[in-house]
Amino acid sequence: MSNASQRIIPLEEGWNDEIKAKAIDKLEALLNGGLDSGQASMFGPREYVQIYTTCYDMCTQRSPYNWSRELYDRHGQTIERYLTSNVLPALREKTGQGGTILLRELNHRWTNHQIMNKWLKKFFTYLDRYYVKHHSLPTLSQSGLRRFQTHVYDEMKQDTTTAILGLINEEREGKIIDKSLIKSIVELYESMGMGTLDAYNADLEEALLSATREYYAKKRDFWINDSTPEYLVKAEEALNEERNRVADYLNSSSESKILKVVEEEILEKVEMVLLEKETSGCRALLQNDKSEDLQRMFRLFSRLENGLNPMASIVQSFISTMGDDITNRRQARLDGGEKDKNDDPRFVKALIALHEKYLGVVKKDFSGHSLFQKALKDAFVEVVNKNVGQYTNAELMSTFCDRILKSGGEKLSESEVEETLDRIVQIFSYLTDKDMFAEIYRNQLAKRLLNQRSTSNDAEKLMIAKLKMQCGTQFTSKMEGMLADLAVGSEQRTEFEQRMRSVDTKLDFSVQVLTTGFWPSYKSPQVSLTPEMSKCMGVFKEWHDTKHQKRKLSWMFSQGNASVRGTFGKKSYDLQVSTLQAIALNALNDGITLTFEEFSRKLNLDHAIMKPLMHSLSCGKYKVVRKTPPGNKINASDKFAANAKFTCNMRKIRIPMASLDSSFNTKRVEEDRSIAIEAAIVRIMKARKTLQHQQLLSEVLAQLAFFNPNPRVIKKRIEALIDREYLERSADNPHVYNYLA
Amino acid sequence: MWNSGSGKRSKGRNSGHRPATTIDETAASKMFQEIAEESDPSVAGMEGICNLCEKLDLNAEEDIRVLVLLWKLGSKEKPAQISKQEWMSGCNKLQVDSIDKFQSILPSLDTGFLDRNEFKEFYKFCFKFNLEGTHRTLDKDMIVALMKMVLTERIAAERLDTFCTFLESQKSYTRITLDQWVSFLDFCYECEDLSTYDESTSAWPVLIDEYVDYMEEQQNKK
Repeated sequence: MSNASQRIIPLEEGWNDEIKAKAIDKLEALLNGGLDSGQASMFGPREYVQIYTTCYDMCTQRSPYNWSRELYDRHGQTIERYLTSNVLPALREKTGQGGTILLRELNHRWTNHQIMNKWLKKFFTYLDRYYVKHHSLPTLSQSGLRRFQTHVYDEMKQDTTTAILGLINEEREGKIIDKSLIKSIVELYESMGMGTLDAYNADLEEALLSATREYYAKKRDFWINDSTPEYLVKAEEALNEERNRVADYLNSSSESKILKVVEEEILEKVEMVLLEKETSGCRALLQNDKSEDLQRMFRLFSRLENGLNPMASIVQSFISTMGDDITNRRQARLDGGEKDKNDDPRFVKALIALHEKYLGVVKKDFSGHSLFQKALKDAFVEVVNKNVGQYTNAELMSTFCDRILKSGGEKLSESEVEETLDRIVQIFSYLTDKDMFAEIYRNQLAKRLLNQRSTSNDAEKLMIAKLKMQCGTQFTSKMEGMLADLAVGSEQRTEFEQRMRSVDTKLDFSVQVLTTGFWPSYKSPQVSLTPEMSKCMGVFKEWHDTKHQKRKLSWMFSQGNASVRGTFGKKSYDLQVSTLQAIALNALNDGITLTFEEFSRKLNLDHAIMKPLMHSLSCGKYKVVRKTPPGNKINASDKFAANAKFTCNMRKIRIPMASLDSSFNTKRVEEDRSIAIEAAIVRIMKARKTLQHQQLLSEVLAQLAFFNPNPRVIKKRIEALIDREYLERSADNPHVYNYLA
Repeated sequence: MWNSGSGKRSKGRNSGHRPATTIDETAASKMFQEIAEESDPSVAGMEGICNLCEKLDLNAEEDIRVLVLLWKLGSKEKPAQISKQEWMSGCNKLQVDSIDKFQSILPSLDTGFLDRNEFKEFYKFCFKFNLEGTHRTLDKDMIVALMKMVLTERIAAERLDTFCTFLESQKSYTRITLDQWVSFLDFCYECEDLSTYDESTSAWPVLIDEYVDYMEEQQNKK
């Protein structure tokens, strides 16, 4: 629209008559007067274009009439003047009249400034296009904003912040405040950072954090007299409140900082006090099963770094104490005269129940967190390995399993059996001397299997599978071998039965072949068999040898069962007895009387075996043999004969006999341990060639899964290996070992 | 002066710094014959050795120099004896072939002349030399006697006394192995002050650990 003949606008004329009068003054008047209608109607299009054109012309006139610089400067000055003479005083006036009033005024002025800035920019836009760029100056908007920052914001920020903090504290105390107002002011702070949050952080957030800290420190001192659960409820509420506050009207980057301050003041600084309160701390909550309170406690302390550690510690010691109680109760029973046997189901059940309970607590109240799982584990490891009385807990546990797995033991449904076995295996996992358990279990398993006292083969397999899962194949290989023997055996038995049919004998005879090594070692007394028995035995041996030439058979006469038909007068009974008992009974046929000595010689059994044998037949519940003189002890002077007067209500009777073999062999376990330790040492030294003592010790311990030897025990094995020249002490350093190939 | 040989140099160390000279092999051999076993003249057993000691006016039971002599002569193969071969090469090494010459080297047999490493070798020898038959361990009482003989003046008197008392009083060990014997000496060198003893890092045989326990117990009793 420029005209070649257009006249040059002089500076002052253009400024005063056009720009100032029509734009600036009007703008200021509108702003001062309060805007009752939308900004859009402040300047109509025609008005706007006119002003814009004036500026444009003044900036495009040829030198020396190009007023770009002047206009730019005056733009800034105008704003500055307006802010300093108009805005700032108004604000200062409002200071001291209460936070809300100040903030409202500031908000108003800020809004105004944004409008002013916008319109002035619109008017002077041409400057932005060329002059500003050409001279690398701040844009009109930036310039306006900067001036607001310098002349208003920087002057007012301290009072503003104080006002905001005051309102926040009021809200904390429960009063209702104008949230959207504060939000707008916060946006001002944000804008003042010129693209960063620096202003917000330095001028508001920092003070807010301090104030928050102070506020909650006071609250804490006040609340701390409450019970822990009550305190925690309040703490949780406070944290929620603060989070909501940030969402409502603060910058989101403040959330984590504020929460951290609050957590420090109301949780971290008093954690131990809260946890350790006598009647309401962590221990008390556990004692009284306060699930919800524990959950809250967990939730809150998990926010702190390492906040859960002291809690887990208390939980561990609590569970330990409960476990110790169970152990002490057992001790008390023993002290009180209860017989010390290898069977204490009350004790084992109590341990299982305790474990189940706190397994649940860890899962539910502590969200299965690993620290608490570890606490449970460590507590149980401590408890489970404390033995009282003659029998180790390993043995008590194994016997407990025996009860469940043998016929005539506890009556449980299939699912109950599985559940119980599952739980006992969990407790088992805490035992240090697992190899001891394995040995005892194996012995008891053998007894069940050989005497056909096992409730269910499936249950046996199930238990072994669980142990295998816990400890690996090597741990259960012998047990599995035993079951395999029986499985194979039943096939063989059918085959042999066929063979037996062609033998002329009244004896219904079958043989169970066991693989040595899987089974415990049994005594094999060379008893004089009856002719029938010898005959059958011979048939079997022959049959077996043709099938397995390389295998050698050893007969275990202390094991084995027989079913004997005993006829006493008119009545007959089916007696379930052991092989030795059957032989003894056979010897007393036809009314024969034998003295102890005669008997012993006839059967070719020594006294140590004769005594329990004869005791079972003549002094037990079913006295099928009459002892003269009668009594409960077998003496070398006794005489024995069949008891013609024997009667019983039942037809089928089982006559138990005391076991001739000890329940299990501790020596065996110790030997196995020595071997295991030496094998580990050699393995490690072979791989490493040279190793320092401490390292060797720790590597050995790491390799031994089923027991935990004392370092001195390991040392002794090292000495033994040095003696056998597997290792030597290094010449340079006696604390270092060398492998000798 | 010295016996300058016919160009033959004798190998090995001499106890003095004399240039190599040869000894009178016949004389040395004759000396051996006098102490050799009747049943096996290639070997001189304890009887013969004691015989020699008497001639040298040495108490074979109590004088450590007897063992030092046997060690220096080179008895290695079997305990409680020295073979003809060992004797001959030993005599050469020590430059002795008569009782007088033996007498003259007696002062040099003091263990004080041996440095740590040499002494350790000698100390091992003492154990091995006293073994009986195919045994690889020594009886506890023998150990105590031997230890007192060998280690007096070599280690602190208190250590030696208390250890011997300990050995005698405890019941679990009746025989001592070479490893335990040697380790004891190393232990004395390394750990003079028992309060610095750290069982968790030390590879000493359990015997030593038990000794330290014993000493602690004694300490607590006071």
